[in-house]
Amino acid sequence: MDDAQNQIDHAPLPDARELRRRRNVVIQFVHFVTLNWKMYTLAKRHH
Amino acid sequence: MTRVVVLGAGVSGHTAALYLKKKLGRAHEVVVVSPNSKWNWIPSNIWVGVGRMSATKVVFPLAPIYRRTGIDFRQAKAVGILPEGDADDPRGAVDVVSTAPGTVGRTERIRYDYLINATGPKLNFAATPGLGPDGGFTASVCTPGHAVDAAGRLAATIEKLKAGIRQTLVIGVGHGSCTCEGAAFEYAFNVEHELRAAGVRDRADVLYLSNEHELGDFGVGGMTFSTRDGQVTSEKWMASLFRERGIRAIVQAAPTEIDADTITYRQIDGSTSTQHYDFAMLLPPFGGVGLTATDRAGVDITSKIFAPSGFMRVDADYRPRPFEEWTAADWPRTYQNPEYGNIFGVGIAFAPPHQISRPYATPDGLAIAAAPPRTGMPSGAMGKVVALTIADMILTGATVPTRSASMSEMAAACIASTGTGLFRGTAAAMAMSPIVPDYSKFPSTGRNAKETTGDIGLAAHWVKRMLHTAFIYKAKALPFWWLIPE
Repeated sequence: MDDAQNQIDHAPLPDARELRRRRNVVIQFVHFVTLNWKMYTLAKRHH
Repeated sequence: MTRVVVLGAGVSGHTAALYLKKKLGRAHEVVVVSPNSKWNWIPSNIWVGVGRMSATKVVFPLAPIYRRTGIDFRQAKAVGILPEGDADDPRGAVDVVSTAPGTVGRTERIRYDYLINATGPKLNFAATPGLGPDGGFTASVCTPGHAVDAAGRLAATIEKLKAGIRQTLVIGVGHGSCTCEGAAFEYAFNVEHELRAAGVRDRADVLYLSNEHELGDFGVGGMTFSTRDGQVTSEKWMASLFRERGIRAIVQAAPTEIDADTITYRQIDGSTSTQHYDFAMLLPPFGGVGLTATDRAGVDITSKIFAPSGFMRVDADYRPRPFEEWTAADWPRTYQNPEYGNIFGVGIAFAPPHQISRPYATPDGLAIAAAPPRTGMPSGAMGKVVALTIADMILTGATVPTRSASMSEMAAACIASTGTGLFRGTAAAMAMSPIVPDYSKFPSTGRNAKETTGDIGLAAHWVKRMLHTAFIYKAKALPFWWLIPE
């Protein structure tokens, strides 16, 4: 029997700081730029 | 004048056609055969399926784009390939049946010098009784029409929840051999996001039902991400996300029968269970589109060109071996058919040599195995590489493929939406390099640890929304479209 639900029930939850980081517009804008650059370089390097 | 025929106008076929025309110009002919009159940016269908995007935003008509770029477009369905031609002409040919208004059913034989098979999948809803929106009981987000239907069903479910009636929403796969679990994952989380926005989350039970062996497998054997908190398996990463959002999960499952309110499924221990549902979106398994092939004498040679699954054989190592003996080197590099050097198969249309995830089965042999995804980023890359190879063959006289794009060398980025909204949206940004693990290069996890990353947040949602606009811009062949990478 799979234990996916057991894994979910015992998985760590993000703390309040992490949840704020995920929604902070300034931090996320920096992430947006970084993510785009990472994806662009990944595509250029490997395709 | 050389003629290249492209079967299919999805991500792979359309990309191939645009690059071919760009390279070959007016001196050579590019013909696209597709039964659909419109191009669809499928990754955004999930937003149509929750009613957050209009279906018109994810499609555009192909004919004006092809007219402007000088590509010959035939709205038709390919039914047969004649790689050696016929009694009248030794050139290869494709038999097609028109699907265009006014000429529906009219047949035509189109000659080619080079052929790209990018037909995509047949959505095999018939594989599980009761599966699918047409004649079955479940919704789908595979096409814009299906997604609109799913949005309607979801809205009705939300109305019932608002009326205080508890509802069970099951989202996942409809068969043990499905692929594209990522799309089901995205839809489950977008639905959960919408239920929260509607203020009815507490009355809804959301369940993810999958054939993956574990959460976060996605048909690629899972990943080990480099994250802000160090190395984390995709299984643990996903389990945390499922707990955060209160979504239950059942994995290692193969739905075998669906009726109006119950899904019957089996798991790898051989057990049979049932799950009640009020709303269900279950993806179908994919199969080849059923193309046949005949030689010049009219003898059926379908099995020489196509695998039993209906997908096209290419330069992969298809020898059957145990899972432990499969290697990254088995995967195709050029997508050239081994029997006919002027035929290529790309995107979902090529036959993978084997699973990426370890395949499992019930004790009595029912396969429960997540099939390898060949969509999105790698699909576009394959289309481009094959187009450039064919252009090299035509323009420089190259006799062997000049470019390669193996999934065991290619990286891929997957932005999985977990809810939409300019400031309330989130997505999981996952990158893996390579797609097919290569344990000879990366002994511990099969992948480059620095390039295999995961992050969740608003930024990833913005990226997903930006990619929607960018790829539709590219697909419309607007100025400098080729600067946008696949």
